[in-house]
Amino acid sequence: MHSILSRINNASAFLSSCMMALLLAISLSSFILTESPTGQVAISSIKVVSSHARRYSSKKQDLAFVHFNLTADLTPLFHWNTKQLFLYLEAEYENSKGVKNEVVIWDRIVRRKEDANIKFAGKNSYMFRDISTTFKNSASANYTLKYNIMPYVGLLTYGEAGKTTEEIAFPATQSRL
Amino acid sequence: MLEELKAFKKLGVRHILLQILNFATVIASGLMIWKGLGVLTNSESPIVVVLSGSMEPAFYRGDILFLTNPSNQRYKTGDITVYKIPGAEIPIVHRVLETHDVSPKKQASTRSKSLVPHQRLLTKGDNNYVDDIELYQGLDWLERKHIVGKVRGFLPYVGYVTIAMNDFPQLKYALLGTLGLLALIQRE
Repeated sequence: MHSILSRINNASAFLSSCMMALLLAISLSSFILTESPTGQVAISSIKVVSSHARRYSSKKQDLAFVHFNLTADLTPLFHWNTKQLFLYLEAEYENSKGVKNEVVIWDRIVRRKEDANIKFAGKNSYMFRDISTTFKNSASANYTLKYNIMPYVGLLTYGEAGKTTEEIAFPATQSRL
Repeated sequence: MLEELKAFKKLGVRHILLQILNFATVIASGLMIWKGLGVLTNSESPIVVVLSGSMEPAFYRGDILFLTNPSNQRYKTGDITVYKIPGAEIPIVHRVLETHDVSPKKQASTRSKSLVPHQRLLTKGDNNYVDDIELYQGLDWLERKHIVGKVRGFLPYVGYVTIAMNDFPQLKYALLGTLGLLALIQRE
């Protein structure tokens, strides 16, 4: 049968399988093209202040204020299937009750290769608090700069761009900044 | 048109029944694949369509996400989760901002030695200014039982068909109607 309908059917089926093959090839190419980036994380100061964080609880709780310097060259992560990078600084520590915590304290979306040379000095943009309301007797924290590559098509991949060289302890609580 | 109708009559009952059977097979195998994927990924809905713009510019409305939910793996910060709060109709796609691996209560651990890690999570949409506490409907933290899965793969635009069909129901009926008619009429 060579009706118009079957011709349309065949053509669109062929086109869509070509499309799928192409998309698959592009998403697989990400694995070959990705190289690992380099970066440094340095914590310049940490203060812990007892305060009211109205958003979460009306009770008083410890808030940490972390100042840090980041330098990272993320340009090798940009290839034809990189839509954007989600870059985030994560604090990892165990509190006095033995709860393991991972908290993102800063993040940035990088959309162009031109912006991928990161130089940043500043403080945490998200509130850094502990689940037990206090940082007292918490173990020292590791700070890691991590990234998530978000592709145009395919799998999301994660990686690490830098880490503090040693664990950093939380200072004693201050009543005010 | 009349000739078509005549041809249709000529086909007989057997042929129509066979076509109905074919149609049912297609639907049944679709359902089997969907549920099979659900078992493999341990997720109630392993493929979702993005419905909101809260993860822009990474995910736009109509993009398709592929999820897995390995039961023995913990969630990490930076993972993009799809979660559903009881009482809320629409599942939400947001990124994990905080994880707290709390140890399970004593009774629970003796009753069932589950390998599922106990975690309290806080999420946030990349395009939102604040975290999701308001979306949790009174809960302070997101827990493992609320989570449908973790986003592993991404395919742009394709899901827009379902959004279009939801926004314009006529389109859905027209599409289903023509598909059904074609399946019945088609010879061979």
